[in-house]
Amino acid sequence: MSLILVVEDEAHLANGLRFNLEAEGYEVLVVDSGEKALDHLLRPNSIDVVVLDVMLPGKDGFTVISEIRHAGQYVPTLMLTARGRADDVLRGFAAGADDYLTKPFELTILIARIRGLLRRRNWEQNAPNNTAGSAKSEATGFTFGDKQDKSFSFDTLALRVRDQTLNLTMMEANVLRYLIEHEGKPVSRKSMLEKVWGVQENIDTRPIDNFIVRLRRYIEDDPTNPRHLLTVRGMGYRFVAVPAEPAD
Amino acid sequence: MVVAGRRKSIAFFIALGVGLIIFTLLLYVGWVLLDWRAGILLFFGIVLLAFIIGGVVLNTIFLVREIRRNEQHDAFINAVTHELKTPVASIRLYLETLLTRPVEEQKRAEFYRIMLEDSDRLLSTIEQVLRTGRVGPSNRIVNSSPVNLTALLEDCVTRARTLHGLSSETLRCKAPRDLMVLGDADELRAAVSNLIDNAVKYSGADVNIAAELSRYEDRYAVLTVRDRGVGIPKGELKRIFKRFYRISESKPVRVTGTGLGLYIVRSVAKRHGGRAWAESEGAGLGSTFSLQLPLLQ
Repeated sequence: MSLILVVEDEAHLANGLRFNLEAEGYEVLVVDSGEKALDHLLRPNSIDVVVLDVMLPGKDGFTVISEIRHAGQYVPTLMLTARGRADDVLRGFAAGADDYLTKPFELTILIARIRGLLRRRNWEQNAPNNTAGSAKSEATGFTFGDKQDKSFSFDTLALRVRDQTLNLTMMEANVLRYLIEHEGKPVSRKSMLEKVWGVQENIDTRPIDNFIVRLRRYIEDDPTNPRHLLTVRGMGYRFVAVPAEPAD
Repeated sequence: MVVAGRRKSIAFFIALGVGLIIFTLLLYVGWVLLDWRAGILLFFGIVLLAFIIGGVVLNTIFLVREIRRNEQHDAFINAVTHELKTPVASIRLYLETLLTRPVEEQKRAEFYRIMLEDSDRLLSTIEQVLRTGRVGPSNRIVNSSPVNLTALLEDCVTRARTLHGLSSETLRCKAPRDLMVLGDADELRAAVSNLIDNAVKYSGADVNIAAELSRYEDRYAVLTVRDRGVGIPKGELKRIFKRFYRISESKPVRVTGTGLGLYIVRSVAKRHGGRAWAESEGAGLGSTFSLQLPLLQ
């Protein structure tokens, strides 16, 4: 049975969520503050999905997701919040959320999103060794690098860099997928906002830069001197699968 | 967090400004001491410098005020968004649950009660926002009539006991007979209710509140609401009556609200020729709110 952690300080909503998720056959753990959520998430646990509110007493939802991601905890997380402005949504994704749903929400949509995150969790857990890449992930993945020693699986969202495998969050994976799809061509920040986040508004594009910084940390041998994720001045970024000049 | 970040950046620039001013003054004074004969020119120079320094200081004050106002405005938008959307989300969740799932009778009754409470909360937020517009300084009191403040307080206390499930020991009330004031009964009820609800909200789990009405100098009625809750840091005692202002959150439990309640209390007091103020020994030591209104002569 999958275990869902609901982080919600509004007792009425938390009870309603618990009732519905238990009726769907999930085990549910409810906590009412950011600190309590971190207590559960930063120690070994069997949590499969987190449903995280933003406006919480003490540490808010953005801080919680950011801290667990920095600690290397990649449990699929859905942010469920009243704050639905485009910059809030981007901030949530930039902090490491996999999905974002605004209140008030439709129960069926919420459950469908949670199922989607659980499906991804299962894929990750069932991927053989979770490392070297099975025949299937090779078939649906993308291999790159000077020595073809880096690959990204579109199925499991696992990024393999030499011997290490990283599980990207849904949004990190979507950004990388979009850049890979436009391999070799410059991609503007605005088009990334529109195609990856579905945001049409004119808003601050810094969250995108944060994603790129993170992806460079994962992919590049030297993130300060990137060779795969190149900056195109005044426009955006360009992904290069095999850099022209070999690494030093 | 964003607010804390902004404050840090302001602090740096203010410190830089102050440092530069001190440095310039030291240079000037040093120059005067070294070359006293150029006194007249220096006098005009000093006057000019005083103007420049005054301008810098005024500019900094304006900047800080604007940033604070923006912060409060952001906080208000977030709080109102939360206060409006959360009960709607809850009501919708329970309605969808009742429509789509088999729910046993006892649970069904509980869900109805929750939805009712959420609709009350929603209504209360809407009323606070609408009332804020009505009690502004430019609007005059329309429905002025003699109001029995004693009866009004007792009503508000009874309502709060029912609403928050409190006993007559945890929310005590003491008032002399029939203290009469002249004013708008609805507005006065809103102000008194806000003071009591505020005391309950900021008391946490251990509620211990005393609401007392008394006569002062035979000219005023004074209502004091004393709680043993989270208290108020000294620096925030005056600011808490400003629109959108909410005391900084270091509490283990987040207090819901829009930051309009105390603004309404002070505005209502002023419109009725009275005043409102707060006292507290500091954070964690409880607080006392007072509302003073002229008695009907």
